[in-house]
Amino acid sequence: MVEDIEMISVVNSKNESVQLVTVEKWLESIDSLSSIGAGVIVKPTDDVELLKDSLDKIAIIALDFNNFDDGRGYSHANLLSKRWKYQGEIIGVNAHIDQLQFMLRSGVTSYKLLDDYENIDDIDYSNGFSICYQAAANNSGLKEKF
Amino acid sequence: MKNKIIENVTIIYHTYKNIKNMYEYNTDDTQFLVERVDQFEKQLKRYLDGDLDDAKFKSLRLRNGLYMELHAHMLRVAIPYGVMNSRQLRALADVADKYDRGFGHFTTRQNIQFNWIEVAEIANLLRELSSVGLHAIQTSGKAIRNITADPLSGLTEGEIADARPYCELIRRWFNLHPEFSWLPGKFKIAVNGAKLDETALRIHDLGLRLLRNDKGELGFSVYVGGGLGAVAVIGAETASFVPVEDILSYLESVMRVYNLKGRRDNIKRLRIKFLVKELGAAEFSRLVDEDWKHTKYDPELKLNLNHLVQLEKDFALPVKPLEISGFEEPVDFNYSIWRKNNVRAHKLSGYSIVNVSLTKLGSSPGDVTSKQMRILADLAGQYSSSYLRTTKRQSIVFPHVRKDQVFDLWQSLEEFSLASPHQGTLAQIVACPGNDYCELAKAASIPIATRVQQRFDDMDKVLDIGDLNINISGCENSCAHHHIADIGLLGMKKNNVEFYQVTVAGETLDETVIGKKLGRSISGDEVVDAIENIVNVYLENRDEEERFKEVFKRIGLKPFKERVYG
Repeated sequence: MVEDIEMISVVNSKNESVQLVTVEKWLESIDSLSSIGAGVIVKPTDDVELLKDSLDKIAIIALDFNNFDDGRGYSHANLLSKRWKYQGEIIGVNAHIDQLQFMLRSGVTSYKLLDDYENIDDIDYSNGFSICYQAAANNSGLKEKF
Repeated sequence: MKNKIIENVTIIYHTYKNIKNMYEYNTDDTQFLVERVDQFEKQLKRYLDGDLDDAKFKSLRLRNGLYMELHAHMLRVAIPYGVMNSRQLRALADVADKYDRGFGHFTTRQNIQFNWIEVAEIANLLRELSSVGLHAIQTSGKAIRNITADPLSGLTEGEIADARPYCELIRRWFNLHPEFSWLPGKFKIAVNGAKLDETALRIHDLGLRLLRNDKGELGFSVYVGGGLGAVAVIGAETASFVPVEDILSYLESVMRVYNLKGRRDNIKRLRIKFLVKELGAAEFSRLVDEDWKHTKYDPELKLNLNHLVQLEKDFALPVKPLEISGFEEPVDFNYSIWRKNNVRAHKLSGYSIVNVSLTKLGSSPGDVTSKQMRILADLAGQYSSSYLRTTKRQSIVFPHVRKDQVFDLWQSLEEFSLASPHQGTLAQIVACPGNDYCELAKAASIPIATRVQQRFDDMDKVLDIGDLNINISGCENSCAHHHIADIGLLGMKKNNVEFYQVTVAGETLDETVIGKKLGRSISGDEVVDAIENIVNVYLENRDEEERFKEVFKRIGLKPFKERVYG
């Protein structure tokens, strides 16, 4: 987990590096951070609803899936993409291959795996199953990976 | 790998098509099961190769029903809504022989467990089960568990609706749900459509009761946050009427509030009952309604009523009403005793519902040998349209037995020692494995059950007492549901001596009531005397056919207390 905001960045789907700030930092200075094209990293413990009113100013939203058993990120993805129609990229960071199918179908649009999975073919896992039983927030599946 | 999957599907599909008169998984469902096994096999291989750590593998394997202990691994297989056919039961018998030690264990929640599974064989085992439409998906772990229904769904008079088609639609929806598969804690749902509540829905994380509103429309009342365990709670009503077609969006809102706000920081407070308690039921309901507002009218979340109609057809009873003329029950003393306690009226004329208990003196309730499974499968084929059901009391039900064949069935059950007249009396005790078999248990369960059965060995008295539930849990995990029994025992240890806390007059059928504590806990040596005293106070105060709970309501705790503590 990265604590220092200066250190956090992520590569977006256009291969550009984007600075990420915490939800707290974002709310403190929305306009100045928005003007430099900053993104926001959301941890499972964060209240994602706080971002609702400034979504159109956020360049990218990163959801942290590091904690394997903490499923709040899936609800965050659903709320952001389906309910609040966030138009930007939602990247799942610190992702686990065994959970890609859940992330991508909840509304996450791209992902960055944890280093542990370097040698495993993630395509095999991200495709999930040939059928699913529910209309998910985002059924388009994985298009980009980094 | 891909080719292999396709081959499997083809084979499974053709064998599967042979089942008649029963809700069947279609090719998509079967394909899903096959892919799920393939996925789990890959994860298992990574774990065995050291590429997947214990914690993550635990999370994944539990969602496939696999518990791993130091010396033995347990697999929990779902029997959806307690319904199975002879072919499925034979497949379970084959699994017991091939992968276990010739045993299975029926649980109180419509599952069967195998206790001696080799990890290397798990994928093959699951493939065999998938070929008869059985699986272990979400039977454990912090996920939405298998949904339970009244074991007599569709069979009894006065039912609002058969709960099983709704259960199946809800199961499908929450099967590997993208948003709700990594919850704070386990999540158990029960659905009841009958007049009496055999499912104990208000002691579930979420209970649904089918009902009709003033306009005659079908819907559900919803109860959230019930549970037993160390803190017994009756679920609070969060909605008095949710129309049938809106149930998925409502359930999603409950799950979302739980997923986002449920405690994840304290291992003892993970279940939804703690969230409901901390927020208060009114505030919890408000949050659910607030969320529901956004999704209630989402067409994607409306229940597909065409699917529902199809499922109602699929779950329709396999028999038609029958006029049986000139038939009289044979006169046989043992038969009539057994019949009184184990045969119930079927809503269709000409049929009866027959209960078969596997409980034997000194054995673990719910245990069944592969031989017994095959006998039951054969008898069901002969007498009950190849159908069987499992119940909360860990017994087996033959749902459709012709009235003029009940005697023949009884004779066959007698032949295989499966027709003890004790069934349906207080001698049919629900007990957890207790500290003889379970590491968590503080005290013995089965030896106490045996001693109670020995104490009440006078058949006339047992029959006079009638159906009185005694449930014995060996620890606060409350696996035997002692809180909702007429007489409940909770095992504990004080200075290395086993004691039991006694509760009385718990129930769920007409209303949900948590049993009242009788007083200070009683030592293992004296607890059987205490039970006998409680039963005697009941008998002395009973008016005609009055049940235990009715007598208790009338006379209160005091007479019981005075007799036991003197």
